[in-house]
Amino acid sequence: MAHVAFVRSIVAHARITGIDTTEAEALPGVRRVFTADSPALMGLGLRAKSALPRYVETEQPALARGVVRFVGEAVAAVVADDRYLAEDGAELVVVDDEPLGVSIRAWDPPAAPLHHQAPDNVLVHRVFERGDPETILSQAHTVVRRSLITNRHAGNPLECRATVALWDDHDHLTLWSGTQIPHLVRNILAELLGVSESNVRVIAPDVGGGFGVKAVLYPEDLAICAMARTMVGTPLKWVEDRVEHLHAATHARDHRYDVTAGFAEDGELVALDVDAWCNVGAYSVSPWTAGIEPLMAGGLFTGPYRLDHYRCEVRGVATNTSPSGPYRGVARPATVFAMEAILDSGARALGMSGAEIRRRNLIRPTDIPYRMPTGLVDDSGHYLECLEQALDIIGYDALVAEQARRRAANDKPLGIGFAVYNELTGLGRAASAGPRMPFRTGHEACTVRVNPDGKLVVLSGVTSQGQGLETTLAQVVADAVGVGYDHVEVRYGDTNESLWGFGAFSSRQAVIAGGAASTAAVAVRDQILELAADLYEANRDDLRLSDGRIMVVGSPQPIGSLADLARVAYLESNRLPKGHSPGLEATRFYDPVLGAFAGGAQVAAVEVDTATGELTVLDWVCVEDSGRVINAQIVEGQVMGSLAQGLGGALYEHLVYDRDGNLVTGTLLDYLMPSGAETPEFRLGHLEHPADNPLGVRGVGEGGTLGPAAVLAGAVADAIGLEIDRLPITPSRLWVLLHEGNR
Amino acid sequence: MKPAPFRYERPTTLEEAVSLLAGDEEAKLIAGGQSLLPLLSLRLARPSVLVDLDGIDELTAINLDPAGSVVRFGAMVRHHISASQTHHPLVADAAGWIGHTAIRSRGTIGGSLAHADPAAELPAVALALDATMHVLGPRGARSVPASNFFVGTFQTALAADELLVDVDFPIPRRWGFAEVARKHGDFALVLVVAAELQDGWRLVAGGLGGTPIRLTAAEAALDAGVDPAEAGAAAQSAVDPVAHLHASSAYLAAMAGTLVTKALANVSVDTRNRDR
Repeated sequence: MAHVAFVRSIVAHARITGIDTTEAEALPGVRRVFTADSPALMGLGLRAKSALPRYVETEQPALARGVVRFVGEAVAAVVADDRYLAEDGAELVVVDDEPLGVSIRAWDPPAAPLHHQAPDNVLVHRVFERGDPETILSQAHTVVRRSLITNRHAGNPLECRATVALWDDHDHLTLWSGTQIPHLVRNILAELLGVSESNVRVIAPDVGGGFGVKAVLYPEDLAICAMARTMVGTPLKWVEDRVEHLHAATHARDHRYDVTAGFAEDGELVALDVDAWCNVGAYSVSPWTAGIEPLMAGGLFTGPYRLDHYRCEVRGVATNTSPSGPYRGVARPATVFAMEAILDSGARALGMSGAEIRRRNLIRPTDIPYRMPTGLVDDSGHYLECLEQALDIIGYDALVAEQARRRAANDKPLGIGFAVYNELTGLGRAASAGPRMPFRTGHEACTVRVNPDGKLVVLSGVTSQGQGLETTLAQVVADAVGVGYDHVEVRYGDTNESLWGFGAFSSRQAVIAGGAASTAAVAVRDQILELAADLYEANRDDLRLSDGRIMVVGSPQPIGSLADLARVAYLESNRLPKGHSPGLEATRFYDPVLGAFAGGAQVAAVEVDTATGELTVLDWVCVEDSGRVINAQIVEGQVMGSLAQGLGGALYEHLVYDRDGNLVTGTLLDYLMPSGAETPEFRLGHLEHPADNPLGVRGVGEGGTLGPAAVLAGAVADAIGLEIDRLPITPSRLWVLLHEGNR
Repeated sequence: MKPAPFRYERPTTLEEAVSLLAGDEEAKLIAGGQSLLPLLSLRLARPSVLVDLDGIDELTAINLDPAGSVVRFGAMVRHHISASQTHHPLVADAAGWIGHTAIRSRGTIGGSLAHADPAAELPAVALALDATMHVLGPRGARSVPASNFFVGTFQTALAADELLVDVDFPIPRRWGFAEVARKHGDFALVLVVAAELQDGWRLVAGGLGGTPIRLTAAEAALDAGVDPAEAGAAAQSAVDPVAHLHASSAYLAAMAGTLVTKALANVSVDTRNRDR
C-alpha cells in the first residue's frame, strides 16, 4: 500500500504560474508526485449537470488546473510509503501563483469571476412564483420585514472521509470508500475514467458518520482513482484529517434571506416575498450541483403553512470558499429559521402569541392533498397535532404564567420558542425532479434471497452511517417473509452485491429501501408458500409462514419448514413440483413516485443570563410524525441526534473566513462542536400517521435539525424583546444585542 | 496532520533532561502533550528532539510546607491529581475547570504554566497567588516569581534550555474562581481568580490579552472596602481586552467585571488553619 497526502492551496483565489515538485520527488520514501498536468490527470474533472434553464455548468478539476479557487483546494498529490513521508513530501512542493480577487460572501458584489462561464458568479438562479404577492403585500393589513443571515457549517462526522483505490492488471478498479452513494460513485467514475461499469467495484462497508458530506463525489476520490491507475497492483490510501475536513469537505447553510410578509388582521399569512442568496462555494458539487441548497430553500420555504401568494428568488453564488453540498436538512434548518422568524415578527406586530399565529396558518388534514405554492404536494397535514402535543407535553400555559411572573419580579427572562416544519422525505421520481439532474433518485433495488439452509440474505443498495439500517431492514424482511429476525442477514455497501441503490440521503432509506425490501420480501414469501402448497398438496391460501415454519390455518402443527423447502429449491430439484424452477429469490425496485412529508413541531423554554449572554435550556419538546415506526429506539436516536446537531448549528458551529479567504476556524479549537454537556434533555413525542407506501413510514433522518435555530432564536427574542437576525447565537453577540439593541 | 520527523528521548533524571535540552537548540520538552501534540501534528512546532519528562519520578510530588502555608507541586503533577488533592483547595478548584477528563488525565501543572496559554486557568492562579517557579538549566537553578514568569502569549521567562521543576503555591485565606467559556471544557473566554493573601486581595483575569493580568484598580477598591459589584465595575472599566473570533472587546471587559463580582460573591474560606 502507498499513502497519499494532498498539497492544498494556502491562497483563496490565484492563477497558478508554476508547481515545482522536484524536491518532493527526490525525498526518500516518496514514490510519485501528481499535478493536474500529470498524464493520468490531464483533463480530468467533475461536472455536475442540470437541465435547469438558469444553471451554469462548470468544472471541478481533480486537482486544481491553472487556477486555485479556495483555501484547501488540492493542488498536487504526493504518494509515499507512509502518510508521514507523504506529508513531508507535500511540504516540499512549491506552488507559484498570481493572486486574483477574492469573494467570500454571496451577497457582496463579486471581486472576480471564479468561472469564465459565470462572470457574475451566479451558478444557479431561479424564481419561484405563485399568485400576486406584490399586490397582496401592498394591500395587507400588516407587513413585516426581516433580513436573516445563517451560519456556514461543516458536517464534521467523527470519522472523516477515507478512500483506498486499487487497480488490477485487467483494468479493474476496486474502490473502498466512505461514501453514502456507492452506486452513483461507480457510475460517475466509470464514465470519467472511460471504463465499463463492470470494471468498477465500490465497497462502502462502514461509512462512519456522513450527514450528507459523504454523499458527494469529491475531486480527491477522482484523483486517487486516476493516480492509482498508473500504479497497478498498489493500493493508494488517503484518510482525510480534521483540518482537511474543515477546509475542503463540503460546507453548508451560508445563506441570507430578505423576507417580506403580509398578514391579515386575524394573523393569516397572505403573501410572502423572499430574496435568498446561498453561498455555494467555489464549485458546483458533484453530482448534486450548486442548486442543492438554493432549490431546496426556494422550493420548501413556506414549509407547513398555507399560502397562495409567494415569490422567492434564489441565487446560488460561487465564492472562494469550500463548495457547499448536502448536509442533514439541506437548507431547511436555515429556511425554517427564516420562516419562523417572520411568523414571530408577524405575531408581535399583531399582538398574537407564537402558538396562535401558527395555529392560524398551518396546513390542516382537511387541506390534504395540499398543493404548496411551489407545486409540491403535501400528503401529511398533521402539523397542528404535532404542535398541540408539543404544547401539551411542555406545559405551555404554565410556562406562559412563569414568564409573566418573572417579568413582574424582574427575574431572569424566560422565552418560549417554536418551530413547526415539514421535511420532504423518501423522494420518489416526481418529488426528486426539481434539480433536473441527469438521474432521478426515486428508486432503490433490493434482493431477498433464501439460502439453501433456509436462512435469508438481503442485498440492499443502502449504506450505513450508524442509523441501524441493518436492524431496520432485517425487521422489515423478517416480518414480511415470516422468519425469525436472527435468520436474516443484511448486506449493503458493495456494488458487486446489490443490484442498484442510490444510497443514504434525503431521509430516504426507510421509505424507499424499506419499500424495496418489503416488496421483495413479500414476493419471496409468495414463492415459498406456492412451493409449499404444491409440495405438500395444500391450498395456498390456507398456508402461512411463521418463524420459518409452514403452518396451515387452524392447525397448531407445522407441515414443513422453510429449511426443508429451501433444500428442495436448491439441492433436490428432482422433488420440485411441476411448474417450479430452482431457487427462492426476488429482486424488486421500489419508487414511491411522490414523497412522504414528515411533520414536526418543537417548543422550548430558554432562560437568558443577561449578565453573560449565556442561554440555559429549561425544557425542550419535539413531536414528530414518523409515520409507522419500525423500530422506536432507532427513530428516537435519529430525532435526538438531529436535535443535538441542530442545536450545535444554532449556538456553536460556524465556519468563518476572513476577507482574504482564509478559514479562521480551521481546527476544532475554534470550530465548536456541541458535546453531551451542551445538549439538553430533549423530550420526545410521536405521531404515527401512516404514509402511502408499503410500510407506511416517513423519513426521520433529518427533521430534528430543522427546528433548533428557529426555536432558540424565537425563544431569545421572546425573552428579551429583541430580534435575532444572525446565527449562531453566541454569548458575546447576545450580550452586545442586549446592550446595544437591534441596530 | 502528521508531525515532521523528530527524535524522542525519555530521561529518568533531571540532570539527564537538562543535558538533553542543552545539547540541542531545537530540543523541546514534552509533559502531558495536550497542547504540544496538536502543534506537532499541525507542524507549527518542529522540534528536532522531544525530551519526555514522563520518566522523571521526582517531578510528580506534592508537598505541604511545615508551616502549612505553601504547597509545592512537581511540574509533572497531572491535572486530575491537582483537582483531587486537598492541600491546596484553590488549585484543586481551578484544575477542575481544565478541559475534559481525558485531558486532565494527561495534562500537567508544569506543562500548563510553561505553555502559558493566555486563557488557561493555572497561570492566572499562579499570578494571583504570587507563586514561585523553580527552574533548572545548564547554568544551575533559579527561582522566578509568577509576576515575572508570564511574558506574552505562549511566552515565559524560561530560557530554551531551562525546565520548570516545581512551583510553590501559597495558600490564600479566602478565594473565589469564576469562568465563562463557549463550551464545557474549552479554554476560558474570561476567567477570574480572587485570592486574599497576607497583604490583601489579589484579582487576576485570564483571557483578556497575552498573559493573565492583575486587576489592580479593583484590588485597591476591594482593599478599601467596596462590595463585590463595585469591585467588578472597577475591573470592567480598567481593562481593554483584545477582541477575537468568539467575543468582542466590550463583552470580554464586561465579563471581567461580572466574573470579579461572581468570584467575590462565592468566596471559599480555608478553615483548616485559622492562624494564617
